[in-house]
Amino acid sequence: MTDTTARPAAAHELPAADDPRLKDTWARRQLLVLVAGVAVLSTLPLFLGEQAQSVAIRTLIFAIMAVGWNLMSGFGGMFSFGHAAFFGIGAYTGAYLLVDHGISPWISMVVAAVLSAAVGVAIAYLCLRYKLAGSYFALATFAFAQMFLLIVQNVDALHKTEGFNVEILPSDSWSMLQFQQGDPLYFWIPLAILAAAVLVSILYVRSRAGQYAQAVRDDEVAASSLGINTMRARLIAVALSCGVTAVAGVYYTQYYFFVGPEQAFGSAVSVEAIVPAVIGGIGTIWGPVIGAMVVGPLSELVATVLRNPPGFLSFLQGTSGLDVAVYATLLIVIVIVMPKGIFGTIRDRWRS
Amino acid sequence: MTSTTTQGEGPTRFVRVGRHPTTVVSVTVVLLLAAVFAVGGKDNGLVTQSIVTGLLLGGVYALVSIGLTLIFGVLGVVNFAQGSMLTMSMYVVYALVSGPGLPVYLATLLAIPVMFAFGMFVQHFLLNRLTSTGSHEGPLLVTLGLQLLIANVLLMIFSGRPKSVGTPFDGSFEMLGAIASYSRVIAFAGAVLVGIALTLVLRRTSLGLSIRAVAANAQGAALVGVNVRRVYALTFGIGAASVAVAGGLMTPFTSLTPSVGEQFTILAFVIVVLGGLGSVLGATIGGLVIGLVQTVGALYLPGTGSLILVFAVFVMVLFLRPQGLYGAK
Amino acid sequence: MKKIASVMTALVVAGGLAACSGSDGGGSSESGTVTIGSIHPTSGALAGVGGLMDDGAKLAVDDINAAGGIKALDGAKLKLSSGDSQGKAEVGQSEAQRLIADGAVALVGTYQSDVTQNVAAVAERGRVPFVIDVAVDDKILQQGYKYAFRVQPDATSMGTSGAQSLAKIGQDSGTPITSVAYLHIEGAFGDSVFKAFEAEAAAQGITSVKEITYPATNFSDATTQVREAAAAKPDVIVATGYYPDGVLIAKAVSELKPDIQGLYGIANGAFDDGSFPAASGESGQNVLSANYHYDANDERVADIRTRFEAKYGKPMETASILSYQAVEVVAAGLEKSGSDDPEKLREAIAGISIDDPLLAFDGPITFDERGQNENATVIVMQVQGDNVEQVFPQEFSTKDLVFPATAAR
Repeated sequence: MTDTTARPAAAHELPAADDPRLKDTWARRQLLVLVAGVAVLSTLPLFLGEQAQSVAIRTLIFAIMAVGWNLMSGFGGMFSFGHAAFFGIGAYTGAYLLVDHGISPWISMVVAAVLSAAVGVAIAYLCLRYKLAGSYFALATFAFAQMFLLIVQNVDALHKTEGFNVEILPSDSWSMLQFQQGDPLYFWIPLAILAAAVLVSILYVRSRAGQYAQAVRDDEVAASSLGINTMRARLIAVALSCGVTAVAGVYYTQYYFFVGPEQAFGSAVSVEAIVPAVIGGIGTIWGPVIGAMVVGPLSELVATVLRNPPGFLSFLQGTSGLDVAVYATLLIVIVIVMPKGIFGTIRDRWRS
Repeated sequence: MTSTTTQGEGPTRFVRVGRHPTTVVSVTVVLLLAAVFAVGGKDNGLVTQSIVTGLLLGGVYALVSIGLTLIFGVLGVVNFAQGSMLTMSMYVVYALVSGPGLPVYLATLLAIPVMFAFGMFVQHFLLNRLTSTGSHEGPLLVTLGLQLLIANVLLMIFSGRPKSVGTPFDGSFEMLGAIASYSRVIAFAGAVLVGIALTLVLRRTSLGLSIRAVAANAQGAALVGVNVRRVYALTFGIGAASVAVAGGLMTPFTSLTPSVGEQFTILAFVIVVLGGLGSVLGATIGGLVIGLVQTVGALYLPGTGSLILVFAVFVMVLFLRPQGLYGAK
Repeated sequence: MKKIASVMTALVVAGGLAACSGSDGGGSSESGTVTIGSIHPTSGALAGVGGLMDDGAKLAVDDINAAGGIKALDGAKLKLSSGDSQGKAEVGQSEAQRLIADGAVALVGTYQSDVTQNVAAVAERGRVPFVIDVAVDDKILQQGYKYAFRVQPDATSMGTSGAQSLAKIGQDSGTPITSVAYLHIEGAFGDSVFKAFEAEAAAQGITSVKEITYPATNFSDATTQVREAAAAKPDVIVATGYYPDGVLIAKAVSELKPDIQGLYGIANGAFDDGSFPAASGESGQNVLSANYHYDANDERVADIRTRFEAKYGKPMETASILSYQAVEVVAAGLEKSGSDDPEKLREAIAGISIDDPLLAFDGPITFDERGQNENATVIVMQVQGDNVEQVFPQEFSTKDLVFPATAAR
């Protein structure tokens, strides 16, 4: 019932949301795009060199995190500045179970997702219970992520500041998720995870729970007066978001073979989850993915150009810090020029 | 009509200087410190030293946070470039000291207008459009980008090797059995002065009135003829100028690298929330409290233990008194 | 909608492809050049030292080429490909992959222990030798990696020889040291140096009466920690950490004027750094530092340092010399194997012996089965005037040791 009465305000993703037939086409179209996108992207390893592939994989990990972040912060309206906590729980669950107990990372993905969702729900419950919103909510999540970082550095069972090294196996192993360096499977697996995360987003946005969460985001009072359990609607968004992000963390440990407190829980990680989503377009299905595809290779691209600069810029060659400065400038410009994100801005133009 | 009422509420919501929280905080702090002396099981001289060090460190924290509380409180911008602006002002001072050879405290005075202009520039050209639409992820990202940009431009100009700035007042003196260095005491005094000056500006001048009005209700203020964009730019400028004071006064006891200021950003947010958004007094008291917690806490929880304590205090404040010590509901 | 999405995808994919194909594989096969990859944090918080190290590696390559290249490969020239880890482990990893894909036959790097762990894993899987110039964690070489070699001493050996030197200094100067208070940075680095020191010191009759850890971040005043150390009434205060905290500790010690015979750094990032005497002023005088260090009495080192400063306009610190040394290790490996095949190069480096190391080591550079340089050790430096002087042991000394080291305060 509330499903069909969703207000236009909540319908960023739902053209004429009150017409159920249209909504079905919407979902079907998104799924088609997803299938087509995965099909196109899965051919990438055929073209990419080993280093380009590693950049592409880093991009995919960013994308998974951003899609996860977007579930809670975009559709749920709770701006998380502490997604490092959930990424870190994933990375450390994977590392701990694998290194100290020899458990397959596939199992860790499930364990980590559940654990991270539980922790996320607990944190969000506390924050919502005490009515934190906006910047306060963001700062509270940030504080929790920092506490996790500090606590991990003091726990012996988690190797304190030393982190975990994943043992290199003599041969490929599906169950241990380890292959030859540069094997395209290292690309296809996170691509599949990303596809699953996007699928979750699409289904969630369409589902009653997702509709409720967006209604609560847009007008909490109105939503609760319609009988929506606002707390529950929001916590579902949080649980999904944290679960997805944790899976990215497990994969991180697998691909990089080493994870320490800063790589897992550092505040830079929280930023890495936010930047693609904001650049791409917050609260949209495709925004985080597109944002990641722009931001991920961007710094690499800038560095490549500046490493062998065109003639008139050759005096800049070898100036340390220049590539990051240019990257930062581009970031600022994108945000100012496209305040709704790349996807959001282009979509608005297209429609008008 | 609505505008006048909201504007009337402004000062109460904003810089509210109830005597109440100050008493509560100071009594709590004194009681806790007395407990440390009585049953803490540590050498008394050591405890005194940690209190003096904590207060002086708190002064530094207060200086950095005063600028941030205005930017956060008035503009609602989570300014992640605050720490980098601190670094930037340190390098401005360094350049003035190592180039023309000015004494460090004169260079600090000169850095104030430089950073003020920089702050106005940032708000006017980079943030205004985003802040006026009310999004907070946009400005957040811009300031994150700005942080990267400042750090790396400084790196390109000054290289990453650590730099140091001498002070005419090298040395230290004994105070109640504890050692305090002159440069840190000067920084502490600077924090108090900046706090008083800003409070006066906010309370006594028409600019201060406009700032408080905009903080309370930007739309309402615009309706009664306040140029909101100008106030935003000025506020950011003032925030940056107080960071310039912080940076200048900290250079004598800091090893300058292009990323040295970044560690202060996070603590500054803790302090701003603890003190209450937009409250200069709150940021000052909050800075002192966090300085004490960190230093005295380090006697019992070495290493990062004392930082965990700081964040625990932060989360408790968020839950129990999210408006902070000096913010009204 | 679908249209936009697909257009966007196509654009992004195209852009990504263009970005990625930009790196042309300047492989080792062409026209007698051999590529060595250098990975250091040339941007980010550690950019200062990262830049120095990258320049050190570049200078080594230039010098070897000027002397006729790799003779065993018909005078093939070396080419240095630089990577920037930005101080981040995952960036270091992708840079390592890029350099290997570009045809690097060996890697040198990376300064930070966590980045080094990632790069070591890449090198191991890519079967390319990786000569670690600076990175202190014992753990890096405990993974059983076959392709990783380390020139500098590890944390444990620095703690151990730091304790031996301290005991010896006490005996030689007729003021035996029986107790120390130890300040160290939190984390694996500080912990492992301290544990090794404590064990060896006990064997030498020195008791560690107080251990104080401080955090690696948000540490901007050391007065309380130093006072706590002084309250234990030690003969010497020992400190292990990085640059900014080292300066703070030296300043706090000089302000508190505890009754000690000296401030002694082990693997301390500040006390023997060239910018420390100026940064600490009076408070740095006579501070002692047990650390790996270039051999200031060696003429070749003096020559390299002079040319480095002329070329890059900044003094060449020890870390930079280690990068230079690491490139020389690779070059010597190439000479020995007579091949630019990474596997053969690894074999050669594993059995190498470099008789004239640029650093003040106990002997030639040779690697044990873990890949650790067996003769890597520390010497003791002391700040005297505006300079860091080598004071112990005698064979490396440039100035006489001042001990008890409190005279100037």
